[in-house]
Amino acid sequence: MEQFVIAHMYPDLMNLYGDRGNLLCLQKRINDYGYACEIRPLYLNDKIDFHSIDMLFMGGGSDREQGLVYNDLMVKADTLMQEIEDGLPTLCICGAYQLLGNYYKSYDGSLLNGLGFFDFHTEGRKDRLIGNILIESEIAGEKISVVGFENHGGRTYLNDKNLRTFGTVIKGHGNNGEDGHEGLWYKNLIGTYLHGPLFPKNPQIADYFIQAMASRKGIKLSGALDDRIEHYAHQQVRKKILGA
Amino acid sequence: MIAMRLRRIIAIFIGKLAIVFSRIAGNQGTSFPGRLARQIYPPILTDMARHINREIIIVTGTNGKTTTSNMIAEILRENGCSYVHNRAGANMLTGIITAFIKASNLNGSRSFDYALLETDEANVPLLLQEVQAGALLITNFFRDQLDRYGELDYTINLIKNSVRGRKLELVLNADDPLLSDIQTQTGLKCWYYGFEDTIYDEVSSADSREGRYCVVCGHELDYQRYHYAQLGQYHCPHCHNHNPSSDFSGHDLQMNPSISFAINELSVKSSYQGFYNAYNILAAVSMGKRLGINDEVIQRAILHYQPRAGRMEKFLIGGKPCLLVLVKNPTGLNQSLTMLGQDPASKALFIALNDNAADGRDISWIWDADVETITRAEAGIKEVICSGQRSGDIALRIKYAGFDTDRIRIESRLQEGIAMAIRTQSDAAYILCTYTALFTCRHILLKMQKQPAEVTVEKRRMTAQ
Repeated sequence: MEQFVIAHMYPDLMNLYGDRGNLLCLQKRINDYGYACEIRPLYLNDKIDFHSIDMLFMGGGSDREQGLVYNDLMVKADTLMQEIEDGLPTLCICGAYQLLGNYYKSYDGSLLNGLGFFDFHTEGRKDRLIGNILIESEIAGEKISVVGFENHGGRTYLNDKNLRTFGTVIKGHGNNGEDGHEGLWYKNLIGTYLHGPLFPKNPQIADYFIQAMASRKGIKLSGALDDRIEHYAHQQVRKKILGA
Repeated sequence: MIAMRLRRIIAIFIGKLAIVFSRIAGNQGTSFPGRLARQIYPPILTDMARHINREIIIVTGTNGKTTTSNMIAEILRENGCSYVHNRAGANMLTGIITAFIKASNLNGSRSFDYALLETDEANVPLLLQEVQAGALLITNFFRDQLDRYGELDYTINLIKNSVRGRKLELVLNADDPLLSDIQTQTGLKCWYYGFEDTIYDEVSSADSREGRYCVVCGHELDYQRYHYAQLGQYHCPHCHNHNPSSDFSGHDLQMNPSISFAINELSVKSSYQGFYNAYNILAAVSMGKRLGINDEVIQRAILHYQPRAGRMEKFLIGGKPCLLVLVKNPTGLNQSLTMLGQDPASKALFIALNDNAADGRDISWIWDADVETITRAEAGIKEVICSGQRSGDIALRIKYAGFDTDRIRIESRLQEGIAMAIRTQSDAAYILCTYTALFTCRHILLKMQKQPAEVTVEKRRMTAQ
């Protein structure tokens, strides 16, 4: 049976806020589409064989973990950026998202270098942006509603105005609580502050990734999954956010 | 001087009135009276706390605060001691003040042997500034409600900084690596309690992810055995940090049909179940022994103590046993699911997930819990009824854990959801809920216990969404 392989980067270090639920969700959905799925953990100093993986996932970590991860990623940076340019499906949440930028300046003044893949930076403040968040995103021209939960001290500012964001904030803070945008979307890479985790309540985004992986493998997915529970949960949170 | 005394009396009087009115209004009235009284007379807690003759004991930690402090209270009561004790959930400063107001006289001068104060972790430093505590018991630190306290490290440091330089003894869980440097970092006298090898230990642990790194040097820890989560026998291969030796050592632990074990030479039996409760009992007994209370008194107290207010409280509805269990965080949920999986009865599982402030607005913790255990055939779960404000989220978690979606029901309303659980064809029902649903679920179960006939008659068909 054809198998999808999702690389889970640094599962021991970057694993806060239930983000591993994104992997559980993808795995089951891929199974339900009729394929096997392996979640492959990649630790510090492990080599990544990009030929054998279909997607990269990296979650959020506490501030101290990010330094360790940065050093390891710098070694792999060139190949990684190449793969992203090539359309490798990649999901980076919170701290992992911040790492893609130029730097993270914490509120006590210390500077954490980023990979510099995209022209943005993050400034940390002591007060955190926390709460349920509703954004509007778009897949293939169709507007979709995305719900999640954010919890970040960092305010991310995109310097490159041509960078596509993950979505516009309907309710919540988003990247910085100022410009009304959330996240980053470049080819098949999404960087976002949305925990929740992201995929279970947003099956269209989950399927976007699955579809992207499948296309690259020359697989055509057929059939639609029964997402009644997903839609119920999505609407429940959406209603709550909108104060209905 | 007289003006101060008068203000204090007025504060207490108003506080006592507020307690009565809250009761009449039907809510629990735990923090409002305290807040009111403190506004009228700010030093109220310090004043009343001066009348505790023997010791003020603070109980904190992520899980087990309420059960442990309830058990310590039972030991004190059995020993004939007088004490002030704040009720479950009233564990912030205002709730503690309410408890004092309730127990005291109008002048605030009634004296007691002990004050037993269950205290929310972030409130410990504030409390220590206002009262002269003699002992601080820490049950454990697990991942909990991140959006209220930020990261675990921050919370632990808060507490360490607040105890330094005080005349205070600590009673600590020797099996929790997160507590392993408290003695060296604070210089205070520490008493340790822990479990030796048990037949329930595992060599590898899947649940929870905190505490796997040495708090002294940051290196990954080696474990010889896990009791659960990060509790176990650990050793740091880099700096050789390891479990401190226990003053109170639990051994020969049995958990079927319910808990029994020995602490040093004292054997105890309890109708509680679950490893987490074995720890709560161990902690309470250790405190009792530290206070010099007689073994027989401690034994009796533990034996007679029945679970209450959702800490595995048992109801009988139309002959069906229904257990009410409070769940607050991944470790607690794991433990509860493991425990009910060990019950051979076929069961309906009801889970109410709320996301009010006290539950934690960020419900993603359910994805850090190993819910997958419920899919095992041996767990005997016939149906899962998902309820509460975030019924959809818990239903998703159950679905993605691999549970058959035909047997997942969503019913956000607590009453209807619990009724569904009772009506399911099973030998037992387990009612799990987060904190703000507890009071209502309990109320519903009590009502149903009195009038079971109304539950079993199917008034209308409930269908899954």
